[in-house]
Amino acid sequence: MNIDNKLDALKKIKQVEAPPFLLTRIKQQIQNLGNAPAPVKWRWAFAASAIIILALNISVFFTRNSSATNTGIETVVSSMNLSNSNSLYNE
Amino acid sequence: MLTEVQFEQLYNEHQKIVYNLCLNYVLNPEDAQDVTQEVFVKVYQRFHQYNSASASIKTWICQIAINQSLDFLKAKKTNKRFGFLTSFFNPETNEPIEAALHINHPGIVAEDKEGFDNLLSIIYTLPDNQKTAIILTKIEDRSQKEVAEIMNTSVKAVESLLQRAKQSIAKKLTDTEGL
Repeated sequence: MNIDNKLDALKKIKQVEAPPFLLTRIKQQIQNLGNAPAPVKWRWAFAASAIIILALNISVFFTRNSSATNTGIETVVSSMNLSNSNSLYNE
Repeated sequence: MLTEVQFEQLYNEHQKIVYNLCLNYVLNPEDAQDVTQEVFVKVYQRFHQYNSASASIKTWICQIAINQSLDFLKAKKTNKRFGFLTSFFNPETNEPIEAALHINHPGIVAEDKEGFDNLLSIIYTLPDNQKTAIILTKIEDRSQKEVAEIMNTSVKAVESLLQRAKQSIAKKLTDTEGL
């Protein structure tokens, strides 16, 4: 068996014309592209991102409200035993 | 962005090449029409990305056609795999029934049909690169240089792919035809 001869015979396969209605179908699909809603996966991804961002904001909001009254700088001052008064002498 | 007139001109110049290329992959006109449609929609969408310095417009469109055809075949295989789980069992033997490959290539004359169908069904099972190399050289009768350009590889790589493809085909032909 000569595999090359067998494969070369495939050149006898004729080229055919595409059906004439195909261009109309293609143009229709291109036109529909502009009207298509966002894919479902994108919509779910957007919804999940929005929920995560909202949840983060809510948790930050509640954490801030329930935290100690000391601001950050006052916490540093007290932990380093620094004075927060302007007097230069310890009177 | 292509105007309607430009797109129609592009379509008219390349529809035969694309349709036949897709047909040589999917092997029946119904699927070839679907894939050809997807190809030209992609050509329209991606025309702004086309770089004339890297490839001719014909090569670029052929690359899109090949990729779309291979994606179509992969999707078809995936659908067959899921169908296997539900309904493709022989009720008598409980063994899976494989859906027959639907070969109906309009470019094949009746007297050649049986022999070519067997050969095409073997080519159908080759890995993507080997399949593409065989289709472009043996069915489309393109030079290895042109095939290398379309496949974005070297002529040596194309020769190697053809060699391996021929070995696989010869082995499977021996198994099926006993030759």
